[in-house]
This record gives sequence, C-alpha cells and structure tokens, in this order.
Amino acid sequence: MAETAITKGQRRGVCAQCMHFRNDPAALEAAFPGLASLSSARGSVRADDGLCARHERYLSARASCAEFHAR
Amino acid sequence: MTNIDSALPREAAPQPLRWRELWLKEDWWAIWLGLGIVLVAYVFFANGASIKWLAVTPAKWSTLSQLGAHFASNYLRYVAQFIAWLAVFTVALTALGYKAREFIPSFVVLYLISVLIFALGQWDKANTYNLEPPLVALVVGLALSNVFGLPRWLDAGFRVEFYIKTGIVLLGATLPFTLIVWAGPVAILQASIISVITFLAIYYAGVKLGLDRRLAATLGAGGAVCGVSAAIAIAGAVGAKKDDAPIAITVVIVWAIAMIFVLPFAAQALHLHAGVGGAWIGTSEFADAAGFAAAQTYGDLASHGAVAGTSDQAVFAYTLMKVVGRDVWIGIWAFVLAIVATTRWERTETGHKPEAAQIWWRFPKFVIGFLVASLIVTAVTAGYGLSAFNKEVVPNLVGPIKDLRTWAFIFCFLSIGLTTRFRELARAGAKPFLAFSVGAVINVIVGLLLSAIVFAAHWENLAR
Repeated sequence: MAETAITKGQRRGVCAQCMHFRNDPAALEAAFPGLASLSSARGSVRADDGLCARHERYLSARASCAEFHAR
Repeated sequence: MTNIDSALPREAAPQPLRWRELWLKEDWWAIWLGLGIVLVAYVFFANGASIKWLAVTPAKWSTLSQLGAHFASNYLRYVAQFIAWLAVFTVALTALGYKAREFIPSFVVLYLISVLIFALGQWDKANTYNLEPPLVALVVGLALSNVFGLPRWLDAGFRVEFYIKTGIVLLGATLPFTLIVWAGPVAILQASIISVITFLAIYYAGVKLGLDRRLAATLGAGGAVCGVSAAIAIAGAVGAKKDDAPIAITVVIVWAIAMIFVLPFAAQALHLHAGVGGAWIGTSEFADAAGFAAAQTYGDLASHGAVAGTSDQAVFAYTLMKVVGRDVWIGIWAFVLAIVATTRWERTETGHKPEAAQIWWRFPKFVIGFLVASLIVTAVTAGYGLSAFNKEVVPNLVGPIKDLRTWAFIFCFLSIGLTTRFRELARAGAKPFLAFSVGAVINVIVGLLLSAIVFAAHWENLAR
C-alpha cells in the first residue's frame, strides 16, 4: 500500500507530541471567543483536541501528519 | 511562524489524560461535588438531622421590611452557605487550573448578585413584571459585561458549564430513577428524530450555500446535539479549519440566547402544559445552560399558575429530552462524522484513523453523576410511603438538595450573561448564520409537533 502523508506521520508521532500543536484549555478559550459562555474547554466532550499552528486546523490530539516535529 | 504559533503560549508536550481526567476535567469535578453534597445530605438525614439550615433561600416577601427581616434573622446561614460553596468550588477550580486569588473575589461578586436576583424572584409581584430569576440573571449579566465592561480576570469565577453540570448532578437526586426509566425511551426517540432532521437541514443548507463540509457539519452538530460543546467536539473529530469553531460558537450563542427569551413565552402563548413546554424547550434549545434557563423560566411560570402543570414537570421533561435524549450521543456523532470526513470528504494533509473509543472519551461524564444521584436517592427512600415521603424525605433530604441546585443554576445563568461579550465574538458571516437558521426553524416546528401533538400525553403525565 502506498505510504500517505498520514501514515508517514503516524510513524513519527501524534499531534499531542508535536511542537505545532496547542491544547491548553485556557489558551483554547482565549483563541475561541465565546467558548466559555455556553461551554468550556475543560469538558469531557472536547477530549484532548487542539489547534495545529502548521495547518491551521482544529484536530484530535491523536491525529498526525508528515510535518510532525517533536517538542 | 503562523499567527496561531504567535497567539498561543508554548506548552510542555501534553500527555494523554487517561485516569488524570478524574481530576482534570470539570465533568468529574461536578460529579464529585454533586454526589458529595447528596451523600452528606443523606448522612444527616439518616441520623435524624438535615442540611436545610445550610440550604437557605430567600423567603417569599411583599414588602422590603419583610425581606430585611428575613436577612436579619438568617444572615449567619447565608454566610455559612457562601463559605461552603467557596470552599468546594475553590478546591475544584484550583485543580482545574484556575488561580484562587482570581476565583475568590470573582465568586464573591457572583454570590452577592445571585442573592439579590434570588430575592427579587421571591417578590410576590415578580411574576406580574416577568422578573423570573433566570431571565433577570441573564439580563443583569449581559448588561454588566456588555454595557459597563468587566475585567477579564473575573471570568475565573463565572464558570457556566461547571455550575450547570453540578446543578444537573444535584437535579438527579430529585428525579426518581423509575421516572428516568419510564420516560427516557420516549425522550431518546423524540430527540433522535429531531437531532437527525436538524443536523441534515443545517448541513445540506450549508453545503448548498457553498460552505466547507467540515464547517457545515460543525454547525449542524451545534444545532442538533448540544450547542457549543457539540460544535467543538465535531470540529475536532472532523479536523475543521481553525476559524470554523469560532463561527459556529457565535451562531449558536446568538440563537441560544434569543431562544431563552422566545421559547418560554411562545409556549405560554400556545397554552402548553409545563411538561410539554419543557419537552419542546429540550428539543429546540441548543445549549444545556441556555435551555435550563428557558425551562426554569417556564417552570416558574407554572409555579405561579400562569401555565398548567408544575415547575418540576417543566424541568424534568427538559432534562430528560436534552441530557438523556441528546447530550449522551455526542461521542457517536463524532465517531460517525470522523469516518465520513476521512473517507468521503476531501483528503487532507492531517488526519487519523477514526477510533470508536472516542464515543467514551467524548461522553459527557456528568450524566453518570446525574444517574448515580438519582439511583442513590431512589434506593434510600424506597421504603417510604407517599405520605411519609412528603412529610419526612421532601423537607429534610430532597428539598434542601433542590434548593442548592437552584443556587447552582442561578450562578450559571448569571455567568452566561457575565461571560457573553457580543463585541468579542467572531464574525460569523451571512451564510453560516442562514444555514443554521434554516435548521433552527425546522427544529422549532418539528419539535413543537412532536412535543405538543405526537407525544403530548406522555409529557403531560410526566411526574404527575
């Protein structure tokens, strides 16, 4: 099977371990105006999701890509 | 370096939460606090005492001298209650990462305003002027944060979700488990019908309007499941663009706050029974906290005789519909949409294989506390007949827990207003707002048909 960007990333590490990934609850509430008004970044439904600065996406901490850089 | 890189602080590499979730997520802290209060209340009750001294609430009054006399004779109880709330909330919020030096002064402000709002709601003319405590709390909070402005650090004490989750766990103790078993399946059926219809309406309206599929799905979940919480859960599950979640948050907040004021009075104008109105609000509000404000308002209207039924029927029907019928399925929505996003939508440079385990990771754990609280109180009071239950259990066990729940809800409703700064919300744009509005209108109409016609008899007989 051809190796994709995703599988390359999975060999290296997941977003939770990447320097581009941010999922601190306080930082997320600051980045998403209104999040704390009717929800919270500290609730179970968010799991460990966070923002990827490299791809400008909101991702699962278990996602991965070819541009993974360990912290 | 991108703008996200510069906007967010550097962090140490986060570790998976696993068991640490038990003290790092507010859902679990709501369980510890809520069940802790229920167990303490039961220990007192089992030993012939009660926590009702601590669960003080303002009494009904018609003149200011009566109100003054109430506070003069009960001020020690209020001080003790304030200290108790402050102590347990400080422990919990410190564990969640807040600074006690910011939370404590913030909670002082929150408690003092809450006392005033609670007292105003007990005025015998309050109903005449529609001064229902949830609405007053919301309006006062919105005015303080949007007209006068408040320092940002005060937000440490205005934790909407934490207060509402704690209140929901306490609510479980006042709702018989047998009632959940009896009414739950209908709630799940009605909520499932409306959730699927609402999601599809918003999603396809969004796609037709040219929105990215991930944004359309994020908006759809916000309208169909549990508001802002669902929007961020789905945004993460499908790998939405960084601006998608703020757009969905803005749209949900605007609609949810408008519905707090519209739904109770629309239900009253339609002469809906309290149980039917509660079910409709549970079907058609978008966020738990906003919905409880609307349902509690409708319950207050019922307690004043403005609509048929009881306050409990409105709140119980809402809770069953929203919490049991809609909230608990967010993990399944996330799992299914993650599969669709990675297999049917555009392939992206980032991604991961969807994991069924997220059904548990994203499960709103406070619901466990709600069910356990209901089981505990149902089990320990099973031996009481109706007369003994009303004479002993209600005033000494269930009543004080209900009063503490009311306090937790007022803290929540006031915090909604105090943290909603309209100027700071992201610009949503016309297309996302229009797509969401299509689903919201369909939701309101279908929700009314299901609540007031198809399942009307069920909701009218709830907790009768």
